[in-house]
Amino acid sequence: MREDEQAGEPSPVPVPALRLRGVSKSYGPVAACDAVDLDVYRGEIHGLLGENGAGKSTLMKILLGLVRRDAGTVLRDDEPVDIGSPRQAAALGIGMVHQHFSLIDPLTVWENVVLGDTGRIDRSAARDQVLEISRRYGLPVDPLARVAGLSAGERQRVELIKCLRGDPSVLILDEPTSVLTRAESAELFGVLRRAVRSESRAVILISHKLDEITAATDRVTVLRGGKVVFRSATARTGPRELARWMVGREVSLGAEAAVGLLPGTYGSAAGEAGPGRAAMAETGPEAGGSATGEAGPAKATMTEIRTEEIGTDEAARGVQDPPPPVLRLRGLTLTVDGVPVLSGLDLDVAPGEIVGLYGVEGNGQSSLGDLLSGLFAPDSGTVEISGRPVDLKRPGALHAAGLGIVPEDRHGSGLVPDMSVAANLVMKSLDAVSGRVFLDRKRTHALARRLVAEFGIVTPSTDTPVRDLSGGNRQRVVLARELSARPAVLVVAQPSRGLDVGAIEDMHRRLRDVASEGMAVLLISTELEEVMTLASRIAVISSGRITGVLSGGEVTAERLGTLVGGATA
Amino acid sequence: MIGADDVSTILSSAVRLTVPLAFAACGEYLAERAGAMNISVEAMMLGAAFGSIATASATGSATTGLVAGVLIGLLIGLVHGNLSHRLEIDTFVAGLVLNALVLGLTGYLITISDFDSHQVSQVSVPWLRDIPLIGPPLFVERWPVYLLVVIVPLTWWLVERSRWGLELRAVGERPRAADVTGIRVNARRRQALLWCGALAGLGGAYLAVGEVGSFNQNMTAGRGYIVVAAVIFGGWRLGRTLLGCAIFGLADAMRLALPALGLELNAQLLIAAPYLLALLAMLLLANRRREPGALGRPFERGSP
Amino acid sequence: MREIPSGSGQGPSGRLLALLTAGPGASGWKTGLVTVAGVAVALALSSLLIAVTGGSPLDSVRALFQGSVADSTAWTSTLLYAAPLLLVAVGACVSARSGVFNIGQEGQVLVGALFAAWVGLRLAVTGPALLVVVLTVAALAGGAWAGLSSLMYRLRGVNIVVSTLLMTFVAQQLVAFAVNTPWLLQETRIGDAVVAPQSNPLPPGALLGSIGEYPDLQVNGGLLIAVTGAAIIATAITRTRWGFRLTMLGLNPVAARHAGVRADALGGAALAVSGAFAGLAGAVLLTSPVGVHRLQPGMAMNIGWDGLLVALVARNRPGPAVAVALLFGALRSGGGFLAATGVPSVVVDVVKALLVLAFVAPPAVIAVLRRRGSGVRTARDGHGAVPVAERTAL
Repeated sequence: MREDEQAGEPSPVPVPALRLRGVSKSYGPVAACDAVDLDVYRGEIHGLLGENGAGKSTLMKILLGLVRRDAGTVLRDDEPVDIGSPRQAAALGIGMVHQHFSLIDPLTVWENVVLGDTGRIDRSAARDQVLEISRRYGLPVDPLARVAGLSAGERQRVELIKCLRGDPSVLILDEPTSVLTRAESAELFGVLRRAVRSESRAVILISHKLDEITAATDRVTVLRGGKVVFRSATARTGPRELARWMVGREVSLGAEAAVGLLPGTYGSAAGEAGPGRAAMAETGPEAGGSATGEAGPAKATMTEIRTEEIGTDEAARGVQDPPPPVLRLRGLTLTVDGVPVLSGLDLDVAPGEIVGLYGVEGNGQSSLGDLLSGLFAPDSGTVEISGRPVDLKRPGALHAAGLGIVPEDRHGSGLVPDMSVAANLVMKSLDAVSGRVFLDRKRTHALARRLVAEFGIVTPSTDTPVRDLSGGNRQRVVLARELSARPAVLVVAQPSRGLDVGAIEDMHRRLRDVASEGMAVLLISTELEEVMTLASRIAVISSGRITGVLSGGEVTAERLGTLVGGATA
Repeated sequence: MIGADDVSTILSSAVRLTVPLAFAACGEYLAERAGAMNISVEAMMLGAAFGSIATASATGSATTGLVAGVLIGLLIGLVHGNLSHRLEIDTFVAGLVLNALVLGLTGYLITISDFDSHQVSQVSVPWLRDIPLIGPPLFVERWPVYLLVVIVPLTWWLVERSRWGLELRAVGERPRAADVTGIRVNARRRQALLWCGALAGLGGAYLAVGEVGSFNQNMTAGRGYIVVAAVIFGGWRLGRTLLGCAIFGLADAMRLALPALGLELNAQLLIAAPYLLALLAMLLLANRRREPGALGRPFERGSP
Repeated sequence: MREIPSGSGQGPSGRLLALLTAGPGASGWKTGLVTVAGVAVALALSSLLIAVTGGSPLDSVRALFQGSVADSTAWTSTLLYAAPLLLVAVGACVSARSGVFNIGQEGQVLVGALFAAWVGLRLAVTGPALLVVVLTVAALAGGAWAGLSSLMYRLRGVNIVVSTLLMTFVAQQLVAFAVNTPWLLQETRIGDAVVAPQSNPLPPGALLGSIGEYPDLQVNGGLLIAVTGAAIIATAITRTRWGFRLTMLGLNPVAARHAGVRADALGGAALAVSGAFAGLAGAVLLTSPVGVHRLQPGMAMNIGWDGLLVALVARNRPGPAVAVALLFGALRSGGGFLAATGVPSVVVDVVKALLVLAFVAPPAVIAVLRRRGSGVRTARDGHGAVPVAERTAL
């Protein structure tokens, strides 16, 4: 009798290797993770999809013991655990391969692999272990080779081997294909499949790339704003739906001005006034935000209508040629440490428009910013300003050609923190405040005072060292300096980073003002809100190149997400 | 005519002049592989030279003096390590100050001291010493010279084969990546400077109680800087570094020997020869691609 | 007006550079306090050294005082030493500001003196014109000597610290060669007298005399040159475009490049200027009553090294360098009187080195304490992998 009863019982549900319940973490008022539930089972590759600010990094930091969660539980094989340190995470069988490699070029592969260990070095044992793991998972790499000579894909294999050594049951990969070619990515997925199936491991694949998620994962969880917004088996969903979930936003008042939706805001062709334009707000990002996809067909129709309307308007005005671009980037290519950072980047910015360069961090924006700061020259490609190519090897050439740039704050390339506000304000336009030899103190301070007043820089005096100013005020100093030179094109990189709301709004207002006065503005940002608020055209950067440029009604959450996810428009 | 005996004498002289450089070079080589460029080698050698003679005079034993010299070098290495890799004083400034301090201190102390002359005993290997030409130079020497036989391979092994060496190399090439892996960068650099101090101290001590037998003001006369040049000239490889030391030692020996042999070569040119050679070597042969990536650059966690 | 902070050393982040070289006003009273404490410790240690080795610290101080500032003769001597020290120091300030560490001043001084002697003894020009030429040539020679190191760096990336250092030894031999070679600069044989390794004395037209008439006190023209030089450089650094760019370069080379500064050219120029000042100091040593107006191998008397120390104590600012040069000049001058008390004058070198330490260490200490206090994320937990500071945002 008993056997019959037992035979009739359903098979037990598998216990997830990793289970998160209600995990939350806040930094001040900002919730990085908000009641996140996640189940990852052995034998599956689980995709974690989301943009910047979605909460992926924080979640992983919690799992790796770098950050303590505020609330919720983490269970390993159904046992609640407390991950207090990276060592504990490793002991629990959680291992991670980071997006940015920390390999030491002049050392060999096996030396890099054993670098974190303690105890005697056993050269042949290390070599054998590398070979063994390499063979087992299909990660061909020569243990005796120097890392310096390895390609990006090979370097990633080394990082994978480093991780797999620890025999992790949960393997986390952070944006793994950001440095790989298509072929290498396919190989990687094959390796992961093997690891997962034959050895009953679990893999969490963090990504913002849709093709990666759809190709490699079994199930996918989408994060947005710290919350889980969508969960599905990968087979039952598709890139378009995932894109919508990844990017979808509430439309705020500010967003209505997005992408030329308000009449007469910008002078660019894409942003021309049109009566029916306001209604386009409905087809904006939020269209796909509803639970079902039924807005689809209707949306398409509306887009068609709008396109027709645009055409009519233009025809009515006569064909207007768009003004020639002030800034023209062609074929910019750069490889650093074997990793391709920029891959033939092309972009145009016309006078009077704000072009938003949008993409998830790590796709080349920082390098582009450095390049436009004049910090290095690309391997190939050109930068033309007002139709003339710029010699990128010459210091100050970009500035002389009429390019102003507010660089990413963290680089410290925009300011000399120990010099005064006045010094920093004049350092690129010494001609205005000096004779041939001597600096004119009076003029310097007069100019400084004027700029401080004009740009609302809060500082005890113009002699205060810039390092004593707040982040927002430092940003204002750089902006003031750049704009005072009346550039033809202004590049702003991550302007909102580290700023409070008031400073951000102030910055946005200025950008709109200068654009309406005819300046070409290139806004490099990872904040979609910001890009949507300011830009008349959005160029999406992914893997070091522009995957597509959207303007006007083309900007939908779906298309944006698709481009961000790596597909070419 | 230069006879075989003369050549042998010159070679002996060359060996004796090379040995202090070689000891110190083993130390500086390790330090630079860890990214700690160190011009206080001069101070280490000079301080050790003084200390060894003073101790030998006080205890009557040259060997004790030798040990004392090593300890003094170690002490200076400790001070420099903490000044530059804990307090973050620029390593060149720290080195300069230490050199000035030790020069002044030893110069002062020697004028008010009266030390006896002490020298370590000589070793003469039977049979091998009778090999013509190279026999005497290699097999009739003061015994500390033979420490090189152990120290050179030991240094090589430490840097290239031990875990400590792996971490030193990581720290010298990409300290940020090493830090990520959990290696304590500045601690390793301080340790590297301790090794450098001990060996440079041995070199200085050997110079005093090994070769000369006494101390005179500024007796190292810039040898410490030659050692730094030798490491650069040697492309941060131990073998070539020691070769550089040997070349400089030979040039020095030639300078001393040639007048006695009746050959008139410009005295100043001969004295300047090692330094000129060093400069030339750095110009022509220094392979910057081999330079440790983070050489001379301080490490601060959190800075870009 | 706030003075722009200066930089020194090669390589470190601009923040540390500024702290290392800023005066008490710039980085707060804390640094000043620690510095005063450091100086006290330096003096205490020196006194201890003297006492422990059988001397009397009190007598030593008295002797120093007597030899340096007690009467006009002492002052004359102090001022005579101060002039070349100040010149070297001013030059060192310039190169330090640009982020380059030139430690070959001793050699540049000698090369300056060498060419000064050559011109002074060979050129058929009379009167003050000769002096002007002598000084100019010396400056150019010193600048060129330093420029060689710059060239080596540009061509093959040879470390400037090491090359300037090695060039010093080459310079020493160059001078020795010159004064041992009859057809170069060795003194002319008179009858059967033994020829010494030194040059002939310079003609009167090439000598730096005193300026002004003061009873018993001689203020040498060299001091005027030095102080003028300090003023010029101080003005150049704080008030000219060149000085502005130099400061930028030293504090933040990346931002400087961004602002269009040609780092190589500017750095090379700074190094050459620094060598020129050292060369000028060499000429002053030759032509002023400090020595015997003859080129001699040891005539630099470590002025090059000391001048460098002066700059470090003055935290690379030409203004304070004047005062510090006077102090070091006094120490040198007073040191001569020490021997009478039984304490070798070399102890002054120890005092100098300790003083430098006292001025150089406090800013570094403060910087470290400040960083520890603000609780920089020290994520290390001894062992185990610590992931890289991720660039990904939340």
